[in-house]
Amino acid sequence: MSVPYHPQLNPTLAPPFPQAALHVLRNPQLRKNVAHAMDVIQAKRARLVLEKSDWQALRTAASEIRAHALDHLGTYLEQFEAHCSEAGGIVHWAATAEDARRIILDILRQEQATVVIKIKTMTSTEIQLNPFLEASGVSVFETDLAEIILQLGHDEPSHIVVPALHVNRSQVRDIFARSMGLPDLSDDPHALTAAARHYLRQKFLSIPTAIGGANFLIAETGSVAVVESEGNGRMCLTLPRTLITLAGIEKVLPRFQDLEVMLQVLARSATGERMNPYTSLWTGVVPGDGPQHFHVVLLDNGRSGILRNSVDRQTLKCIRCAACMNACPVYRQTGGHAYGSVYPGPIGAILTPQLMQMHHAQSLPYAPTLCGACYEVCPVKINIPEVLIDLRARVVDQDRSHLEHYFDPLYLGMRLTGFIFRHPWLFHSAQRLARLGLRLFTRKDGWIHSLPSVGAEWTQTRDLRGFPSRTFHERWVARSATQSPRPQ
Amino acid sequence: MTPLTTARQLILDRIRDATGSAAFDEPSIELAALRASLSRDYIRKATLAPEAILALLIERLHEYDAEVVECTHDLLPAAVAAELLAANLAAGRSSFIVPAGLPSAWLDVARTHSEFTLIPDHDLPIDLIEDASGVITTAFCAVADSGTIILHHSPAEGRRLITLLPDWHLCILHASQVVQTLPEYFDLCKTPPNLVTWISGPSATADIEMTRIKGVHGPRFLHVLLVRD
Repeated sequence: MSVPYHPQLNPTLAPPFPQAALHVLRNPQLRKNVAHAMDVIQAKRARLVLEKSDWQALRTAASEIRAHALDHLGTYLEQFEAHCSEAGGIVHWAATAEDARRIILDILRQEQATVVIKIKTMTSTEIQLNPFLEASGVSVFETDLAEIILQLGHDEPSHIVVPALHVNRSQVRDIFARSMGLPDLSDDPHALTAAARHYLRQKFLSIPTAIGGANFLIAETGSVAVVESEGNGRMCLTLPRTLITLAGIEKVLPRFQDLEVMLQVLARSATGERMNPYTSLWTGVVPGDGPQHFHVVLLDNGRSGILRNSVDRQTLKCIRCAACMNACPVYRQTGGHAYGSVYPGPIGAILTPQLMQMHHAQSLPYAPTLCGACYEVCPVKINIPEVLIDLRARVVDQDRSHLEHYFDPLYLGMRLTGFIFRHPWLFHSAQRLARLGLRLFTRKDGWIHSLPSVGAEWTQTRDLRGFPSRTFHERWVARSATQSPRPQ
Repeated sequence: MTPLTTARQLILDRIRDATGSAAFDEPSIELAALRASLSRDYIRKATLAPEAILALLIERLHEYDAEVVECTHDLLPAAVAAELLAANLAAGRSSFIVPAGLPSAWLDVARTHSEFTLIPDHDLPIDLIEDASGVITTAFCAVADSGTIILHHSPAEGRRLITLLPDWHLCILHASQVVQTLPEYFDLCKTPPNLVTWISGPSATADIEMTRIKGVHGPRFLHVLLVRD
């Protein structure tokens, strides 16, 4: 059994990725749980994408709609605000996480709410809403099954669609048995799900205030869309008197009809289903049906800064399907907690540092491998490797602003290498020297398994191919010498 | 903390600054032209014959563990009664909520049975809805491609609550309401509706070890009565 460990999802406090990943890599149970979940989702997604003959056309359309919405974000946000207000919704704007928390608490105070039910929303984890509300005297009940597992287990989400995938059934059983007072509970997922249904039913029927997120905001109509599987979302959207929706400013779609594209790609990419069991859309307040007090909190919290650079802007096209993390060879090994952010995996590696304005999480752009698997599966065609390279360059530029950087061995080594690469005679001498030197460390199988000093940083985690007896260049020169030139 | 009155302006200014001022005060006609130029090369019309579309819908609904029964228009009232009776026999379901706008004639046969009661929804209190064993509604349309039933919550489809709390849902769907692809549904929405619920099979979760479990909070049993017009 592993040591109890509480993951730190606050990017300002989390350790660098390689350090945080070590903890997970040493936990075989967690790695097994993550790998199993990834295998299942990936296989389902692949099958359903294959059956869709117009998949690439849908991806292109989805990508263009999202890019268009971001290029004209100001206009579409104003349209959303106008239409939502006309329909009786109250729209708030929050520049920072702190503003959003304060706005939500003020609404709750106005409503004299001391307890709330919640639909799963990653954005609320981003602004650390639950600990803030609890500290302010408001009890929070998560209603998504995975979120209940995490809340009752004092754990943090490790995935944006299946947040508790790192927990297996016997661990869920222990958490439920302890916190729901059910010592005889079995670890059958049916029994565990039934326990959650029973635990929440009375809360749904009696708690008059709910907080949720949004998958999409529709500028044309002022409507909000929420997709889900369990029905807990519909409960929170229908039963309470007051509903507060927290949404990032990037969630806007221009038209209602745009959903014909987004909702064809979302469920297939996220859970490998043709459609998620429930999708709800509502416009403001509808008399006689659902909450009669409706607030939308539009959250910036670093997003508007991401719009500035056209390469990085594509980060905000994301519709949070998690296909990139499901496909990522690094996420598969480490799970989500190592990323130190509510947004893990490849999308988190580009989103988190940018939300932090590059002041924190600088190790994340180096976490993925640039293999491109994430780009290939992304339903809105975010070129994640392209953004990763751009962000790595920004991290390096940042380092350059410190004087001591000029004495860093890595920097000096790179400068020296750059100089050598610019001078062919130096380059060839260096190659000959390296061949001689590395011969000492090359084993019979042609591989170098361990190097001393700085070289150890490479060979600690991977092998290096031994230096060839002749370089390509040497071979080419020899070839030209022995062969007659081609007839003209 | 940012003063709230200025937060809106601050955020919009930052966005304007980042995307270029051209992105503001855009004439809607220009934006519409830009939108029209976006590529939409995906499938937007039915590719199957009507009979094949119905077969596809039935196949999808079965995959979601929903029950499908077919009947002709003449036999609709008898088929509704038979469904309710079967639910009563199998699980003792004895009270069914009916939206106020559901065509009364569809319930003519069901009304003659004493095994169960039909409760019209005239602002029923929550506890009564929670205690009911089922609900009978119609739908706006259905999309065969994904097995999705779409409610716009008209008087015949009922308010959202009645198709949420009861554990058993009988949805009466006419063959003419079935489209093959999702874009065809959007073509049917001349004006975007205020309230929409899409249902693709009974509520489910895969949060524990990716094992699909049917029935979490929403209705656990979905029955579709497909009426051939």
